[in-house]
Amino acid sequence: MTYSIVARCPRTGQLGIGVASFSMAIGRFCDGAVRSNTGVTLTQGFPNPRNNYLAINLLGQGHTAGQALATLIVNDARGDYRQIAIVDRDDNAVIHSGGKLRPWAAHRIGKGYLALGDGLAGPQVVEAMAARFEGTAEADLDERLLAALEAGRDAGGLAGVRGRLPERSAALVVWGNRPHNEIDLRADLHENAIAEVRRIHADYKPTIAYYDERARNPRNAITGVEFAENLKKQQRKETA
Amino acid sequence: MTYSIIARCPRTGKFGVGSTTFSMACGRRNESVRPNVGVSKSQAFYLRHVDPLALNMLAQGHTPQQIVRMLAADDADFDYRQFGIIDRENNVVAHTGPGCGKWAGHTVGPYYAAYGNGLAGPQVVAGIVAGFLKQPDAPLEDRLLLALEGGRDAGGQESNGVHRPERSAWIRVVDQLDFPEIDLRVDLDDRSVAELRRILAEFKRYRDYYRARCDDPRNAIPEEEFVASLDQKAA
Repeated sequence: MTYSIVARCPRTGQLGIGVASFSMAIGRFCDGAVRSNTGVTLTQGFPNPRNNYLAINLLGQGHTAGQALATLIVNDARGDYRQIAIVDRDDNAVIHSGGKLRPWAAHRIGKGYLALGDGLAGPQVVEAMAARFEGTAEADLDERLLAALEAGRDAGGLAGVRGRLPERSAALVVWGNRPHNEIDLRADLHENAIAEVRRIHADYKPTIAYYDERARNPRNAITGVEFAENLKKQQRKETA
Repeated sequence: MTYSIIARCPRTGKFGVGSTTFSMACGRRNESVRPNVGVSKSQAFYLRHVDPLALNMLAQGHTPQQIVRMLAADDADFDYRQFGIIDRENNVVAHTGPGCGKWAGHTVGPYYAAYGNGLAGPQVVAGIVAGFLKQPDAPLEDRLLLALEGGRDAGGQESNGVHRPERSAWIRVVDQLDFPEIDLRVDLDDRSVAELRRILAEFKRYRDYYRARCDDPRNAIPEEEFVASLDQKAA
């Protein structure tokens, strides 16, 4: 009961994840999932919490994405229950969808990206995610990941034994060339978690450059409160 | 403006951080805690690379005190930084540069540090510490959240004489494994500390279920049925 898009931006080399789930705080499972200039991975379904770290370490040591995936599967007595995605810095995208995931479990493989999920309304969910991701190739990676999640939700999203299930948590993660994330936004418990991450993203994105500059040049920085107020004024002007 | 508590649980050795601020998504700073190594949480005019650097130095064997000297030597704007570091031997340091503005400061305890900037006054840091010490036998995540609530209830953040809301909040606790035991966030909400309290309470009801589902998925019931059983219990 989770769907995600795991991708590398072919223009910038950024690596990222968009993920939404019926479970709380799905963003926890993005921990250790990305390393700059190395790759991005995610294990979902019935996740194995050690997988992200192992997969990224394997890629970092020089193993191919295919061998990293094979290693994760044999390293786990419950591999049938895991859905594991890996994309490396050469745009190799590999996936394992175990046979015991909740139906519908499905995935789509593209160049440098994967759309995947289990407990879905149907395979059209990952198809819609992949189509939206492909159709927004000119946009920034964070925007493409978020748009793909929205497309998955609008194509039916999650379904359990009693029908449609809400996305109660969501996360958006993007790394650039630094040893930490550029964007890492979450809604941990919300009835419309993807819309909540969209709301936060709209306000957050303009602040990235501000916080970066403020750290490098604190002597001339305006305060965060001033920046937020200026931004609000500007947004009001734009909508007026 | 931000206030934080960092700690090493004296009973379990777990490391944790609790933080809240006017800025969005303070919990994105997940590089600030490393299992079996320590905590380094910087704020005010923070450089993002400093926490991973400090943790790398801790892992190499440097003391927190030595790390402060090395960070100071390599930073022309060290006066604008605020941070705290704890290692696995309970060595604790904190630094509040004079450029961090009014009011900014810190308190260092035997296995924790509380610090903030853009605060209503020193009573906020005192409130963080009092909250943290309120239930010494409680799990670390509870103590971290009590600390944030203590800071908030003591006046929280202020600039130009105006109270500023805590718009994001975060607690993270790590034990020996890479995967964090607790990592819960509120990224944009005018009452983020209260919202984090709601989410932590809810998460605790799910915690054993989520863990069992990862460890042995063969016996896991569908989550929507687990939720229905929780609702029945509550009714």
